Amino acid sequence: MAKVGMDGHDRGIKVVSTLLREAGYEVVYLGKLLTPETVVAAAVQESVDAVGLSFLSGEHVTYTQEVAHLMEARGLRQASPPPSSSPVKGEENKESPSPLEGEGTGGGGGVPSVKLFVGGVFPNTDIPKIKQAGADDVFPAGTLVTEIVRRIQSVLAMS
Amino acid sequence: MSRSRDVASQAREQGKPSTSRPPDFTPSRPDAYRERPRRTATWSGLEVKEAYQAADAPPPREDPGTYPFTRGIHPNMYRGRYWTRREVCGIGGPKDTNELIKYLQREGQTGVNVIFDIPTMTGLDADHPRVPHEIGVQGTSVSSLQDMEDLFDGIPVENLSVSLVVTSSAAPVILSMFLEMAHKRGADVSTLRGTVQNDPLHHRYCGYPAVFAPIGLALHTAVDIIEYTTRCVPGWHPINVNGYDFRETGINAPQEIAFALAQAEAYVQGALARGLPIDAFAPRFAFYMSAHIDLFEEVAKLRAARRMWARLMREKYGARSPDSWKFRFAVHTAGCALYPQQPMVNVVRIAYQALAATLAGASSLHCCAYDEPFALPTRQSHRLALRTQQVLAYETGVANTADPLGGSYYVESLTDRLEEEAKAVLSQIEERGGMVEVIDSGWIDREMEKASLEYQKEVESGERTIVGVNAFSIPPEEDTQVVGEEAPAASKTDQIRRLALWKERRDGGRVRASLGRLREIASRAHAHAERVRDALKGRSTPIVPSTAPAHEGLTDVNLIPAMREAVSCGATLGEALGVVRAAFGESYDPLEALMDPFA
Repeated sequence: MAKVGMDGHDRGIKVVSTLLREAGYEVVYLGKLLTPETVVAAAVQESVDAVGLSFLSGEHVTYTQEVAHLMEARGLRQASPPPSSSPVKGEENKESPSPLEGEGTGGGGGVPSVKLFVGGVFPNTDIPKIKQAGADDVFPAGTLVTEIVRRIQSVLAMS
Repeated sequence: MSRSRDVASQAREQGKPSTSRPPDFTPSRPDAYRERPRRTATWSGLEVKEAYQAADAPPPREDPGTYPFTRGIHPNMYRGRYWTRREVCGIGGPKDTNELIKYLQREGQTGVNVIFDIPTMTGLDADHPRVPHEIGVQGTSVSSLQDMEDLFDGIPVENLSVSLVVTSSAAPVILSMFLEMAHKRGADVSTLRGTVQNDPLHHRYCGYPAVFAPIGLALHTAVDIIEYTTRCVPGWHPINVNGYDFRETGINAPQEIAFALAQAEAYVQGALARGLPIDAFAPRFAFYMSAHIDLFEEVAKLRAARRMWARLMREKYGARSPDSWKFRFAVHTAGCALYPQQPMVNVVRIAYQALAATLAGASSLHCCAYDEPFALPTRQSHRLALRTQQVLAYETGVANTADPLGGSYYVESLTDRLEEEAKAVLSQIEERGGMVEVIDSGWIDREMEKASLEYQKEVESGERTIVGVNAFSIPPEEDTQVVGEEAPAASKTDQIRRLALWKERRDGGRVRASLGRLREIASRAHAHAERVRDALKGRSTPIVPSTAPAHEGLTDVNLIPAMREAVSCGATLGEALGVVRAAFGESYDPLEALMDPFA
């Protein structure tokens, strides 16, 4: 879990991180004011199943895209649209670099499929844009954490 | 945790229905017509009785306008003057925000309230390599005097009350730019009215890491502004102690009062250490408070805060002037009580919050826009927020009499209760060594984290009902779609380009020389600031600096005259603050991406 860019509103991400921990997940909260590079490097190092980003900056689409591209470049996921628009996944249909150290989870043998979740304050009309930018699911402010847990479980179960 | 929370948890255990079973709000629920409140505590968890009697609120009660001002700081309150109606605004480049200010003025706002973007708030120029995405996104972008001139182009600044929302040690540079802009236009700077937020100690609690406002520097620049405006711009409010941002982190009403007052005390002590007499500066102190959703508790909170400040100033700091005892506050309706689910419901929430603010006697009010849980407000939602204030002022009759709830058994009793709870939190802070110490030790952060987590758990369990969030929800596809306002796409690159031009055209020699003078004063200031910081932690007594002959009554550690000179010579925000940071032993660039070009 991390905040990228200069926005530091972190009440939400801290609460969600704690409640995800209480729900049984191992959560690494990296902090705020990070670059996409730092976040993705940490994701590689920690061999995470998912990356969570939180925004209250207005720059949710740009940064989601940057993180998603870097995750692809570092071999954490494939450069394919999110599952909602392409139900069949796991095919070796891309030309991106090979997986780093092959430590990622999921994905079954080929490129690992690390998920990307985004939460925070943004127009609800931007939710499709954030998904298009690479998020597997998007949780606007006010979403109950019980709901977030349920949806994270179902996305992770698909990989 | 605060006593009020202990009280709350005890109250919850006393014969209340178990909270383990989430409430049933389905349309077909049995006995819906028999429903009664599940939660009978205030938002902050104070248990409320079924009914209040005279014995719960024993007299005496003073009149409005008399010490300790529980009922208001003026005898006639809004009959003498309405609250200032001004909406926080800021988006894109300074020219975009200039248009927005003019729009809000046309729509009837009576003051100007400008908020700056993240780079400006943190003292970074628009051309800093880490900020290109953030320019003009959460507020407007100001890096140079030229930007300030564009921001107020065509807006007369005399006879206008201007609020500059900038909190960190960037505040004195932004204020310097504002004063230079007015001076260049031929205005008499000493007569200007307005407010600069200038609460750098709280900067780290509204989302910015501590690196942007190191405590020693923060205290020093805050007191610089207090000293400078007290001597040179006496109609200016040098500080707006921000209880609002504290509250937004999830803390309760007594904590909001206590944190704000404790923070204010740190600045008061800093100003006293500068050799300023209490009655010289206390009359211009102002506060920025929240109006949350629990109507009566919020009114009681603000009444209690008013009474506590008066006693603090008179009894603890020995202020003799009645003006020093008066708690002046603006209100920002609580953004954290708004939700993106069914956003039109926020219109109703904001109206109740604004009602609380005016029933409590706020001097100035900002109403949130209903679309703020999504993005910056659109023109239409800005206008609706302003109309909310206008309905309150012109239609509801709330302004007709001072302290309309005074004498209510419930409100008086709750005011006493809030005061008692807030005092307990203040004692906790004192026991731990004072505000500067509890900021440094992380105690404040931990209190906030506990509070926000507890609140979310209460929402998750259904103990708190939030309409549209954990009750009466609708499928997202049926919900109101909100696009939100975005900064004009070209404004980011425009700002960077204009700053490059500005740097090219200015006289580099003059910039360097003026920054050299600023650095010299800042080095002297640093030594003084270290002593003040230690003194506020109870470790030493500060030495009052000497008065500089060049500037009437200012001490020789005040940075503002040199900052004014530097920005008028063309220095940018990042450069002026960077040089000061370096002299204070900090990195020139808080993000350490830039080297000090003037070293």
